[in-house]
Amino acid sequence: MEFGWSENERSYRNQLREFLAAELPGNWNEMSKDGPGSDAQAAFSQAFCGKLAARGWLTPHWPKEYGGHDAPAWQHAILSEEMWAHGEPRGPQYMNVNWLGPTLMRYGSDEQKRFHLARISRGDVLWCQGFSEPNAGSDLASLSTRAERVGDSYAVNGQKVWTSYCKNAEFCFLLVRTDKIETRHKGITVLLVPMNTPGIEVREIDTVLGDRYFHEVFFTDVRVPVSARLGAENDGWGIAMYALQYERIGLPRYARSARTLELIVADAKSNGRVIDGAFKEKLVAARAMCEAARILYYRVIDQRAHNQPPTADSNVARLALTAADRAVGDLALELGGPAALLYGSLGDGNFRAAMPAGVATGTSEINANLVAQRWLGLPREA
Amino acid sequence: MDFTLTETQQSIVDSAAKLLTKHAGPKRARQVLATSGYDPELASALREAGFLSLMKETGALEAAMVTEAISARAGLVHFGAAAMVAPALGMEIDEPVALSRQRGPVRYGASAKTLLILDGADVRVRRVDSGEARPMRSNFGFPFAELPADGGERLSGAGAKMRAWWRVVLAVEIAGALRGCLTFTTDYVKERRQFGRAIGSFQAIQHRLADCVVLTEASRWLAYEAAFQGAPDDGAEVAISYAAAAARRVFHEVHQMNGAIGFTREHDLHVWSMRLQALALEMGGA
Ligand SMILES: Cc1cc2nc3c(=O)[nH]c(=O)nc-3n(C[C@H](O)[C@H](O)[C@H](O)COP(=O)(O)OP(=O)(O)OC[C@H]3O[C@@H](n4cnc5c(N)ncnc54)[C@H](O)[C@@H]3O)c2cc1C
Repeated sequence: MEFGWSENERSYRNQLREFLAAELPGNWNEMSKDGPGSDAQAAFSQAFCGKLAARGWLTPHWPKEYGGHDAPAWQHAILSEEMWAHGEPRGPQYMNVNWLGPTLMRYGSDEQKRFHLARISRGDVLWCQGFSEPNAGSDLASLSTRAERVGDSYAVNGQKVWTSYCKNAEFCFLLVRTDKIETRHKGITVLLVPMNTPGIEVREIDTVLGDRYFHEVFFTDVRVPVSARLGAENDGWGIAMYALQYERIGLPRYARSARTLELIVADAKSNGRVIDGAFKEKLVAARAMCEAARILYYRVIDQRAHNQPPTADSNVARLALTAADRAVGDLALELGGPAALLYGSLGDGNFRAAMPAGVATGTSEINANLVAQRWLGLPREA
Repeated sequence: MDFTLTETQQSIVDSAAKLLTKHAGPKRARQVLATSGYDPELASALREAGFLSLMKETGALEAAMVTEAISARAGLVHFGAAAMVAPALGMEIDEPVALSRQRGPVRYGASAKTLLILDGADVRVRRVDSGEARPMRSNFGFPFAELPADGGERLSGAGAKMRAWWRVVLAVEIAGALRGCLTFTTDYVKERRQFGRAIGSFQAIQHRLADCVVLTEASRWLAYEAAFQGAPDDGAEVAISYAAAAARRVFHEVHQMNGAIGFTREHDLHVWSMRLQALALEMGGA
């Protein structure tokens, strides 16, 4: 065991920092405060991803044949960390790199891999994730959006909800029911659906999180060719779980949170506020929570670097990431004082960004259940 | 010591409840929040029912009970400022009243006719002229505005009193919003089903909701006790510090239990939850 960085890793991180320093605009802190996917940073992110791709830094850890450079898992971790520490200038693109890519690599047909992976590694496509439904949240296996086989296509009918980033998405990674509802996880299939297919309607949901946070997507007799199916019919559950393993732990959110702490301290100081006593203690505690999340995240990356299958350590890390986000979001409000209640202030932006951390990509309770069962080996709740 | 309501108190609570059923509630709050954020109809109903003079005629505890009930029904009026803080300072002033610490956004600032400014050891009472307020956008459940904090009539030495009553009012308002969150969420977890059962049947949910009961109940009783005792410095400080910590904790618990729908404006939770953060911050560090 050792906790050092190799010469290569250090120099890679430095190159990234130099690149970011050169590429991020002067008003980037302002632009990025509502998080990746906000309208304010959408156009910038698109151009930025192209530049990253040109340097081979969008998907460095992918195999060469899919547009990567066979870089080790740690290199991807360093990349993600630097991106999140700088407010994630890649925008929703991070989803592609994190979980779509690995899932397509493992389950895609040659044709699907050729087409989709090439586009992702060029950075010119956005995806959205069509999993949740009004009655299928934590209990994802109860989803009921139906796909009926009609000749060599499926006819899809139903509704998804809470779909992030889908206004600008070109494709949806869609979970559909292809067998009776009672079959639960045994009757689910994945379809890779172009969002411009006739019969798809997207509605924005009004939230307190900010503008354009998430959407409802309605499917009315949407025709999807069988060739757009990922894996075999009724084999979708395993694929979705594989994707979730990557998604849950895909983001070093602690890096963004740690940066937020620095920004709020700088902001408080510039407002003539002395940070001492109780506030100092809270800052140190919040920073320690970010560091705890970091080391647990590294633990998971290490398993990946050794090609070990995912374990409940990723659920442990996810819980720590959520706790750190929350502590920092709370502190951003508290330190900002009443002025932090104003829309668009540093405190407001960070608090609202942290609010859904315990719900998005599966709730903390579900993660905690998995830790209890798989890490501790405890029986399920009756 | 007696936790049972007297006949008078019971009738005040009952008539407030009746009035609030008609003039307040989450639907109304969502409507009002989509416009000015201040509810003049509710304010005039409360005035006509005589609730503004409760403090003088009956007592601070009774005024606190009505303040709590308004907050629990997500009412959008600054009742505590007009019916508790102002009379505690011995003032008959023009409603609506807003409270200011000289700097920063003022809750209900844009609708206020009178501003009570906490200025160190003193209080200044300032009329607000139309056009002076600059409304500010916020997602935290109340209307805010920036207001000038200069001038006004100075009440020398009244600062400590205003600070203590302000704290009690905030604690009472938090207690009401906590109750709103708790009641709403309890109903929701009974109704929402996942894995073939109500999510409220999971112990992970039950135990944390039970913690929310502790925080809500203690916030309310501490705030009532402080109001009853006439807002002593120590009691007021205890009440607001407990309630503010409870607000921050319950906020995350109830949002967690409501899942994604809890963040949407069509779901009622936010009319109580978002204001919790605003109330917890209002006297932050003061
Ligand atoms: C910001 C954000 C972005 C999102 N983006 C997407 C997206 O792009 N695509 C997509 O498909 N979905 C997305 N989601 C949806 C997300 O995956 C769901 O919100 C999540 O799975 C929870 O489902 P739910 O909201 O229906 O809550 P519910 O499942 O109704 O849960 C409500 C409460 O009950 C608890 N609960 C449920 N079951 C148990 C149990 N067995 N034991 C203990 N407690 C339990 C939950 O933990 C929670 O506290 C997003 C959500 C958010 C908040």
